[in-house]
Amino acid sequence: MIHFYNSSTVTTVTMPTVVLLDVSLSMTRPVSMEGSEEYQRKHLAAHGLSMLFEHMATNYKLEFTALVAFSSLWELMVPFTRDYNTLQEALSTVDDYDKTCLESALVGISNIVQEEWGVCIPCQIILVTDGSLGIGRGSLRHSLATLNHRGEENKFPLPFPFPSKLYVMCIANLEELQTTDTLDILERMIDVNNGEGQIFTIDGPLCLKNVQSMFGKLIDQAYTPFHAVLKCGHLVSDMQMFPRPEPVTIDEELEPVPKSINTELDILGFIKIADISSPPVLSRHLVLPIAFNKEGDDLGTGIPEETEDENSASQIAGKMPSFCVLLHGSLKVEGMVAIVQLGPDWYGMLYSQADSKKKSNLMMSLFEPGPEPLPWLGRISQLGPILDAAENPYGEDDSKSPFPLQPRTKRSYAQNVTVWIKPSGLQTDVQKILRNARKLPEKTQTFYKELNRLRKAALAFGFLDLLKGVADMLDRECTLLPETAHPDAAFQLSHAAQQLKLASTGNSEYAAYEHNITPLQTDFSGSSADRI
Amino acid sequence: MKLFSEAHKTVFVVDHCPYMSESCRQTVEFDMFTKNRAPGIIPLAPISKSLWTCAVESAMEYCRIMYDIFPARKQPAMINNMMSAPRDHKLLTVAPKQLMGSTRVNFIVSDSRAHTLNSWSQEDQNLQELMAALAAVGPPNPRMDPECCSVLHGLVEAVEVLCKCTDYQHEARTTLMENADRVSNRGRIICITNAKSDSHVRMLEDCVQETIHEHNKLAASSDHLMQVQHCELVLIHTYTVGEDSMVSDRPRKDISSVLTSEVHSVRAGRQLPAKLTTLVQQHFDLASTTITNIPMKEEQHANTSANYDVELLHQKDAHTELLKNANQEPNICGSYLQNGGQRHSKKEGKTIAALTCDHVKGKKGDPHIVCSNSRDGPVKDTVTLKWCTPRTNNVELHYCTGAYRISPVDVNSRPSSCLTNFLLNGRSVLLEQPRKSGSKVISHMLCSHGGEIFLHVLSCCRSILEEPPSISEGCGGRVTDYRITDFGEFMRENRLAPVLETRYMMDGNVEVPLERAKCQLERHTRYWPMIISQTTIFNMQAVVPLASLIVKESLTEEDVLNCQKTIYNLVDMERKNDHLPISTVGTRGKGSKRDEQYRIMWNELETLVRAHLNNSEKHQRVLECLLACRSKPPEEEDRKKGRRKREDKEDKSDKAMKDYEPDKSWQDSERLKGTLEREKEELVEAEIIKDSPDSPEPLNKKPRVSIGEIQPIEKVKGPMSLLAMWTNRINTANSRKHQEFAGRLSSVNNKAELYQHLKEENGVDAHENGKASRQ
Repeated sequence: MIHFYNSSTVTTVTMPTVVLLDVSLSMTRPVSMEGSEEYQRKHLAAHGLSMLFEHMATNYKLEFTALVAFSSLWELMVPFTRDYNTLQEALSTVDDYDKTCLESALVGISNIVQEEWGVCIPCQIILVTDGSLGIGRGSLRHSLATLNHRGEENKFPLPFPFPSKLYVMCIANLEELQTTDTLDILERMIDVNNGEGQIFTIDGPLCLKNVQSMFGKLIDQAYTPFHAVLKCGHLVSDMQMFPRPEPVTIDEELEPVPKSINTELDILGFIKIADISSPPVLSRHLVLPIAFNKEGDDLGTGIPEETEDENSASQIAGKMPSFCVLLHGSLKVEGMVAIVQLGPDWYGMLYSQADSKKKSNLMMSLFEPGPEPLPWLGRISQLGPILDAAENPYGEDDSKSPFPLQPRTKRSYAQNVTVWIKPSGLQTDVQKILRNARKLPEKTQTFYKELNRLRKAALAFGFLDLLKGVADMLDRECTLLPETAHPDAAFQLSHAAQQLKLASTGNSEYAAYEHNITPLQTDFSGSSADRI
Repeated sequence: MKLFSEAHKTVFVVDHCPYMSESCRQTVEFDMFTKNRAPGIIPLAPISKSLWTCAVESAMEYCRIMYDIFPARKQPAMINNMMSAPRDHKLLTVAPKQLMGSTRVNFIVSDSRAHTLNSWSQEDQNLQELMAALAAVGPPNPRMDPECCSVLHGLVEAVEVLCKCTDYQHEARTTLMENADRVSNRGRIICITNAKSDSHVRMLEDCVQETIHEHNKLAASSDHLMQVQHCELVLIHTYTVGEDSMVSDRPRKDISSVLTSEVHSVRAGRQLPAKLTTLVQQHFDLASTTITNIPMKEEQHANTSANYDVELLHQKDAHTELLKNANQEPNICGSYLQNGGQRHSKKEGKTIAALTCDHVKGKKGDPHIVCSNSRDGPVKDTVTLKWCTPRTNNVELHYCTGAYRISPVDVNSRPSSCLTNFLLNGRSVLLEQPRKSGSKVISHMLCSHGGEIFLHVLSCCRSILEEPPSISEGCGGRVTDYRITDFGEFMRENRLAPVLETRYMMDGNVEVPLERAKCQLERHTRYWPMIISQTTIFNMQAVVPLASLIVKESLTEEDVLNCQKTIYNLVDMERKNDHLPISTVGTRGKGSKRDEQYRIMWNELETLVRAHLNNSEKHQRVLECLLACRSKPPEEEDRKKGRRKREDKEDKSDKAMKDYEPDKSWQDSERLKGTLEREKEELVEAEIIKDSPDSPEPLNKKPRVSIGEIQPIEKVKGPMSLLAMWTNRINTANSRKHQEFAGRLSSVNNKAELYQHLKEENGVDAHENGKASRQ
């Protein structure tokens, strides 16, 4: 089934991240650890974030991340950046401040994100806190309690106006949190964000290892790069899709199950850009070829780093032929797209996109899941190889195209429908007849065509008075014919008028819808003006 | 889970009783032409439509808009789809948003009895069919006995019709089998009549309620009928202009759990169609966009042009993103240039924020963006977008997040038809959000596909993919001799086209064209070197006939002959010692050069032909010819050496063969060789991916240079350079491989064991099989 709509159920991409770091005094509470130097919770938080940034620097080089620190006030420590070193440095320079006041920080984030990205780009927000959510005005408990008694001006910032996921990383373990109502409050906060988000807590005692495992879970959940194998018959290439494609749920199904795209993506064939014609897509992704060296280690995407020398892994990877690069080059030169199977009854397309004159990239766009994502292509499973066809559907000289498919019936604007709900519509149609009537016999064919169109509509609408009126009008035209007029004009006019009058009786013999008034057969070529 | 909504089924019941033949008393001048052009002639008296004409043309306008935006299509068959999802995952619901293709209208006129003009079936769902059926009924007969006429007959029939399944419902029920009861049955009855009073209206409602009750009982005991779960009755009382209405308007209310009813009291004439246009927008969740500033040539003065506006209707979703942006608080609204191409700097951001202010103000007063489309309120709001005159006709792939069919509000007006014809002729128009000044935000595009016009929603958010690294900076980005042109040719050969006729496979199953396409890609890529320096044969014009034929599933006698001709031709070339466009980096001294080149060429050709050996018996004949014709086996000494090496390498090479990647190990070494070569040629620009020509000329030049460079290394007996060591190593690897082919050829005449992948695909373990056949 075809449906074009922005599926609201689709969580498209894992996109810009804002880290919201609690720097209130409670974060400086010491953590008792055996036989090591004293740690504070903020150190654990920094350790976890550092690990996250490291992961992103390796796997998500293109991800934008911002760091916001908050207590009773908030501060944008690092604006959105791809430079993870800056983020790492900022972690080590944050100071300690007063109490926790989450609401103002969330307002701040909401503004920062909208200023940078607008409201269409989904954002991930990682709140790192020790779980003491403050007391009194500005505390989360207070914010949530007063949620419903607020005006437009001081609305609670959640749910965010942009699509978002709110991950809460508690630098505290479950037992500790359960002594207060912290978890309930955090859960309520996520509920207010339309349920978009999740709370992570530390399993077991607070130590570096357990913090790592908590952030590890977040990474698994939200920051695993998507690797896939792109195949075109026997030609293959490992690749990463960025941003990673998220599962899609179609909630009109009987039992909706999120659909994920295959990790083996088969190219099915190729279509010209003009034929695919700017199709609507769910999301689009950069396709980055990746190389694995002999030991199976990831050589990375081959994007050079600044500090790199000639023989680095990415340099070698750059010199290994990659199918993605070949494909990209040919797609670009030929102006074509490759149709890719993403899953059962789910398709997408690969194409070259130019960023500038010099830079271009292989991109993949995902169509709406379904057997027929684009009406002008028809069902994808009905697309076959052109070599199977008896005659090349593109023509031997590539001069034609089997696309777009024509719908069975024409739309109203393409079929010359008759609409008389406004007087002007009716007047135009009558005028057309009259104008042609005055140019008889040259315009005989158009005259009758317009006449029949009017006749059909009048019969369908039961507007028999109009038929009489137009008949009268044609009779009058007949009397107004100048002497120089061709004799045939008079014959045709009175014939047409007479036929319309007959139709206007509603008598089934003359008022049949399918019946057409045909021109009177006359012969003025010979010496006599006799009617045949 | 949403189910079939009311919008899936609409029944029109139009009163055909004698009083409907009365004039609506609103006159239409139709003799305008005479009035304006021929002074002195008294134009004919204006005429007026009957209540019936007003009712019917309004209903047709409702259907016109509906069919434009949700054209009736056949439900795609769910069964017989090899690649379909498990049955329960099938889409089987028709919520208002997803009505595409599934709207169905049934038209009933009612006088002394009900006349049903069409059925739910897809073939009946278009304007022409309805027009023809209406013409057959004709206008109401004023002489009919009013006593025996009533709209009730039609309403009863409407309920009966609602109990019948549409093709979509039928399909869903069959698909779900035991869960068939989960397919719901809802519908809407739009009744246009002339009621006598409010109590008359109540009587009609009660009657519908009672009929539903009765028919549901009937349907419960029937296999092919469905109970009406919910029905929305829209009663439109229409009366002549100048009269007072005897019936009062009433918003929707529940009559019972299965029936809601609303009453609209509307004057005939111009108000009735306006009412139905409003209703169709409410019923199908439509919104309006006005395209403004369309330049049009004046009819009278062809060299001047004036600007016109055209209003279009479409699904509301086309505005979702626009309204979302408009609702942003003004001071934080980031708006970016079209397609998120470039981001404004902070400073600019502020100026734009100010501009966006009027945008948001527009919500309250400015007609540009209005988003208060309450369901019951009048739907008059329209979003205004500005026409951007298309500069070129170039084909571009826009990032588009939605596409929605449109219907012009005033379909036959000159501006409308100019716009639609322009689009139907294949042009597309970008649409811009009007701003007082400053940035230009392109938010939509109008274009047609196959005679249907769509409003495309373009993403105007900042792109998260900005400044991505160029593909030339990544893996394989520094390789410069990709066979770009050849692969382009490959793509053209593997283009897709719709297959309209059904074909059957040998086993009687329906053939899925897409599977055929996949098979073809598999065949065409069995041997496909990606870079020019990896191949000889694909750089040779002489091989083209064979290379293009051998990939076929089956060969004709003529094809075989052509392949053989190609081979004879090559033999001829070899005899004449013609030059080969071979990449000579790594080949040995000049003396054996030609021989060596031809051996490489023959080996590669054999690899190609062997890859298709199992396609058909005729493919085998090509191989036989090739084996018979190719140059005589290498000298005895070489062979011995080769054998020793082969023994060492047997396991590895066997595996490679069985995995059906005969070229893999070869490719690896070639790849290294290529790397080496490129290291030498530092002159190559990394940024540029060179288009590799399929003609061999540039290659002929390149190798010559490299031969010159290589030769001294061979001759100099001093300490070996790293390059020389590499070269030697690659040479050994290459020669091993070539020997292996020759050796195999001479030792066992067992072809089947080579390309085990084909059996593997049929589920036979290739490895086992391979060994067995060798013994």
